Amino acid sequence: MELVSLFIGLTFVNNVVLSKFYAVCPLLGVSKKPKNALNMGYAVTFVIFVASIVTWCLYNFVLEPLEITYLDLITFILVIASLVQFVEMFLKKTSPEIYKSMGVYLPLITTNCAVLGVALDNISAGYNLMQAAVAGLAVPIGFTIVIYVFATIRERLEIANVPESFKGTPIALITAGLMACALAGIAGLV
Amino acid sequence: MNINAILSLLAIGAVLGAILGIANKYLIVEEDNRIGEVMEMLPGANCGGCGYPGCSGFANALVEGEAKKVSACVVSNQETREKISTYLNETPGPDGQPVKVTV
Repeated sequence: MELVSLFIGLTFVNNVVLSKFYAVCPLLGVSKKPKNALNMGYAVTFVIFVASIVTWCLYNFVLEPLEITYLDLITFILVIASLVQFVEMFLKKTSPEIYKSMGVYLPLITTNCAVLGVALDNISAGYNLMQAAVAGLAVPIGFTIVIYVFATIRERLEIANVPESFKGTPIALITAGLMACALAGIAGLV
Repeated sequence: MNINAILSLLAIGAVLGAILGIANKYLIVEEDNRIGEVMEMLPGANCGGCGYPGCSGFANALVEGEAKKVSACVVSNQETREKISTYLNETPGPDGQPVKVTV
């Protein structure tokens, strides 16, 4: 039950994009087509899930016993960068179309602050391994939902009568702001 | 100076590097070997002056037939351009056809 409320809390109430404002770069960059947005969501889900488990284990079984917890940032970045490299190789091999359509935003998952944010939050919140794994799943699912919804809204905006000066990124930023406002309606639920 | 810090960071790096190395063996993508050859011949400045992201992007575009003129690479000299165009005009690709490019 505790894990369920943690999951709901991290997916919707404390959504990583709309209430913590992590990962805004891919939100604006890869949301032109809903299909690309979903692919980005899957890639990020894999990276965050594995990264949160591996970084939790490294922190608790290696860094803490050796009393070198000040190295957490650099070890986490090492893990994340390797994972992203792996995803890149995997996608290049299995589906070159997805690899091409994601372009530079695929290696940029390395600098997606949601990934590092989850890894660091898991430590600072004092989660156990199970909770860290749930967080590693809940956060990217929240991200995937938001980026997909955002992409579909942007697709609709393509044919909308947007004032000249708001076309493109400005209206996208306003849309993201309105989505954050809507999500604020359930703030404090969990 | 904490020797533990150095050693553990080294170990983590080595393990991750080894995993990536093994993954690279299994997930290697068969590339047209002309791309690598052309890239070797290009100046390697990665300036982007040709309009492609780096020399590998330009080599890819040349082999794919997207770019027709080697002189789009502004850093290369006449000798390099001739070398690349003769190489591409004479070396057949996987489909048995060479790419037609001009200096």
